[in-house]
Amino acid sequence: MSVFLAKARHGIASALKDTQLRIGVIAILVLILVMIFRPVLMTVDPYYYGPDILAAPGENGHILGTNKLGQDIYSMLIEGIMVSLQVAVISAMISGILGVLIGGISGYFGGKVDTVVSEIINIFMMLPTFFLILLIIALFGNSILNVMVVIGLTTWPSNAKLMRAQALSLRERTFVKSAIAMGETKIQILLKYIIPNGIFPVVANTTMGMAWAILTEASLSFLGLGDPNVISWGQMIYDGKAYLTSAWWISTFAGLAIVLTVIIFYFLGDGLNHVLNPKYVAGRNK
Amino acid sequence: MKRYLFRRILSGILTILVVLGINFVIIKAAPGDPIRTLMGPENDDPVLRAALTEKWGLDDPPLQQFAAYLTNALQGDLGTSIIYNRSVNDMIWEKVGATVLLGFSSALLSLLIGTALGIVAAKREGSALDVLSSNISYTLNAMPSFWLGLMLIILFATQLKLFPSYGMTNARADYQGFAYVLDVLHHMFLPALTLILVSIPQYFRIAKSSVLQVSNEDFIVALRATGMPEKKIFNKYIFRNAILPTITIFGISMAYLITGVSLIEIVFAWPGMGRLVLTAITQRDYPTLQGIYLVMSVSVAVMTLVVDIVYTLFDPRIRFN
Repeated sequence: MSVFLAKARHGIASALKDTQLRIGVIAILVLILVMIFRPVLMTVDPYYYGPDILAAPGENGHILGTNKLGQDIYSMLIEGIMVSLQVAVISAMISGILGVLIGGISGYFGGKVDTVVSEIINIFMMLPTFFLILLIIALFGNSILNVMVVIGLTTWPSNAKLMRAQALSLRERTFVKSAIAMGETKIQILLKYIIPNGIFPVVANTTMGMAWAILTEASLSFLGLGDPNVISWGQMIYDGKAYLTSAWWISTFAGLAIVLTVIIFYFLGDGLNHVLNPKYVAGRNK
Repeated sequence: MKRYLFRRILSGILTILVVLGINFVIIKAAPGDPIRTLMGPENDDPVLRAALTEKWGLDDPPLQQFAAYLTNALQGDLGTSIIYNRSVNDMIWEKVGATVLLGFSSALLSLLIGTALGIVAAKREGSALDVLSSNISYTLNAMPSFWLGLMLIILFATQLKLFPSYGMTNARADYQGFAYVLDVLHHMFLPALTLILVSIPQYFRIAKSSVLQVSNEDFIVALRATGMPEKKIFNKYIFRNAILPTITIFGISMAYLITGVSLIEIVFAWPGMGRLVLTAITQRDYPTLQGIYLVMSVSVAVMTLVVDIVYTLFDPRIRFN
């Protein structure tokens, strides 16, 4: 654990030196603050169907206009942060935990287990993820919970691959070998040494995965597979599509919100990659 | 090399089997009762129910059902659309041409533009051009493709009125010959532009980083020390080595051609597979959706296999290891 803490402390110290990460951290904190203080920041209840239908930005106190049902776009955008961050965090957590466990077991146990598990990882990496998600959501129902779980369950292979490579190299290290000599069980070693020391690339990758999850949720909503009971940016773009010529603001601002949030997560992910991975070559991660 | 190919082909076949397995499990686990759908909501005759269950083999053990499904799928039978009562194969086959036309031409153009920009950015690392194109590429990479498409419609179709925003041909005019080709190109401009813009970043990034990487290799430094002209070093040594990852990315994007194009097709009402996906979703036509997923996954598995094999032919380092 002490190695973990030392690495983490080192990470935080050098993190402040990386511009991308610094901007990313500040921006994500701002986003979270806006989400927390949304009752104060919103001008109207975003679920309120007001009398101003398709009002242009600035009209009748609607900063960014209204949609066909008279909902205030500005307030909807703030409300939408919730869904996007929820989708990002929960699906990334599921995918991260699955990836770390599967990859860790595969790499650390090695031998036949590794042959089988890494073949499974390779196969799952070849499946067209987006269409699998689309199919499952279409068949099993489009609640936001389903969306989050399915994104998590289908995106673990890249995390598993990274964790496996880490476990493969870590198990040859002296501190792990001495733990084996001390008679610690394989599960103990996996949880106490392999995972805490090898998890950093997965953390960076998971941050990138969060950006992907936000884009995926938006794409599903655009296909009409979003959760109709919540306000999400993807849903707003979908709703605005029919009013593209008469009310451009509905789709435009929601899309800008997505671009901005995704860039924040890219900054975080790239920044973490620079900080946590000294061998990182700029622009090479995928 | 033979062993490698054998393993690759084996894992390709395994992937296809897994896709079929997933498809089967999804149908089985999905909520809803197929017999109920077949009988209609008002009818609940136990005799008919038993007969239908017997006919479609829904009482058979799951493994036997899977075997039956597998046999059909491997014979290329993707099932029948429950909305149009037509074979899913035919419906996909009709649409695949438009998708490939749009997808392939934009993939090719984004490969050329993205790679060229990436090479220039790498050669002049740190210049204004490099900074600008890197930032644009970063931003484009963060955009939902369908949203970018909508924005281009607002700009080019509704404001400037330069290009049509939907369809593949002008339905009112009956163009023939060259005029027809021009009409298709005119309609293809916006969807292709969207696709090119969203796929430039991956080619840009990979070209830039691999040119930078190869330029810093020891053998390049050695060639410089011999006084070989910079141009010759680049054309003969850097480019040849740096282009390999780009070929891989292009191959993989060929594999995902149909998948990537779908959302854009929906935005621009392009009459390809994307339209099929959308109508299948809105009409809850599950057999069609599953057929499309199957075709997509199999083409991805086959294409990645082809890419790997072609790659071994290209790169002697893989061939001899």
